[in-house]
Amino acid sequence: MDFAYILEALPDLMTGLKMTLIVSFLAIFLSCLIGLLGAVLRTSGIKPLQYAVTAYVEFIRGTPYLVQIFFIFYGLPSLGLRFSIFWSGVIALTAWASAFQIENFRAGLAAVGRGMHDASASLGLKRWQHSVFIVLPLATRAALPSAMNTIVATVKNSAYLQAIGLVELTFVAVDRIAYDFRAIEMFASICVIYLICVFTISGLGYMVERRLSRPFGGR
Amino acid sequence: MTANGKTSEMVDPEIAVELSGVDKWFSILQVLHGVNLTVRCGEKVVVCGPSGSGKSTMIRCINYLEKHQKGRIIVNGTELTDNKKVIDRVRQDVGMVFQNFNLYPHLTVLENCTLAPRWVKGVARKDAEAVARAYLERVRIPDKADFYPSQLSGGQQQRAAIARSLCMNPKIMLFDEPTSALDPELVREVLDTMAQLANDGMTMVCVTHEMGFARQVADRVVFMDAGRIVETAPPGEFFSNPKESRTKAFLSQILH
Repeated sequence: MDFAYILEALPDLMTGLKMTLIVSFLAIFLSCLIGLLGAVLRTSGIKPLQYAVTAYVEFIRGTPYLVQIFFIFYGLPSLGLRFSIFWSGVIALTAWASAFQIENFRAGLAAVGRGMHDASASLGLKRWQHSVFIVLPLATRAALPSAMNTIVATVKNSAYLQAIGLVELTFVAVDRIAYDFRAIEMFASICVIYLICVFTISGLGYMVERRLSRPFGGR
Repeated sequence: MTANGKTSEMVDPEIAVELSGVDKWFSILQVLHGVNLTVRCGEKVVVCGPSGSGKSTMIRCINYLEKHQKGRIIVNGTELTDNKKVIDRVRQDVGMVFQNFNLYPHLTVLENCTLAPRWVKGVARKDAEAVARAYLERVRIPDKADFYPSQLSGGQQQRAAIARSLCMNPKIMLFDEPTSALDPELVREVLDTMAQLANDGMTMVCVTHEMGFARQVADRVVFMDAGRIVETAPPGEFFSNPKESRTKAFLSQILH
């Protein structure tokens, strides 16, 4: 393995990493929001909304991710919806991750027992107070391990976006290999970089998990 | 005992809870059949009966955790209706203690006790904490204020739950099998706390199988079976001279 070559390629790889991180963080942020909202809608008891969310989840789960990306980037323009490579990437990654986050948060909501509702009702708490002070922290805590799983997968799945020409980490590596044929150097390098990203995120996740098992502090 | 169709304007201020002709169904299953019960202010009523007899459902109807479909329930002179504002107001006067404690697991005991006073009644944090500490003292767990529920024994958790209810300064306390989930050796401390509360003059409706507690504390014992109130009597009479055959059968099963 030629480390000098890796060093030489590093600036390019960092440019790719930057894009990977931007797209991933946008998708993670949006998918967590949509996930929470979707989970609330799916458990809302409002039948049309429940069916719509369920259909969405089943569609995303039931079709290949790569096909979803191509559908958004190559398919939607013929319906008059044209997005840049960047936004197509963000939309595809968010759409994929949201379906899984909806299920994660739904499990979290289900973990908050009927007893909590009884307690809040008997104390006279308003519905929003119960939702914010009790349901949200408890559901988040219960959903966190599986939500972290999806967050990590979101970062890794940003690699698929090289297929539509988004200049992210994997794209840069593949691109350089096309010129220099240094496959082992490039793939080993990006594996390490992905691992560092994932470990950092997992670490943050464990920290949040510990924090949430402590009080609803700071008020 | 029976209600006679009073309107709420004519309600006797001495009456804390009045159920008249209350029916309740869970879909097609009728769980309460024309239940009539009047609880006077300061009175302690113990409700007993076999499993599935509707005692928990009845007590949950009193603060509208369950909706009744027929009849009237008047609490502190206010009839329970679907109006959210009315229900919220009634619930502020009615404390409830549950079989499974239902403490908030992510909040400390002190935070459990201060959440509702602060957010429902708008009490300042310092004042709410002072009140909470006083009640924790009263249920004899002042040193557990900063612990999480999971760090407490079952008996301590239930006493914390009682303190949490008391922090809202309720006029009526409902107990739904408060000792049924406890290890036998922890039952006593919870019953003692409840007896002390009774001595202080709290109006109490208590679903329990603790017949010793009923004897010691109750003004009246209500026996329910199959969604109906079968018999109501002061504890002395209830235990020594039950009138209904179903009451006799029940007592012979639980008193050894």
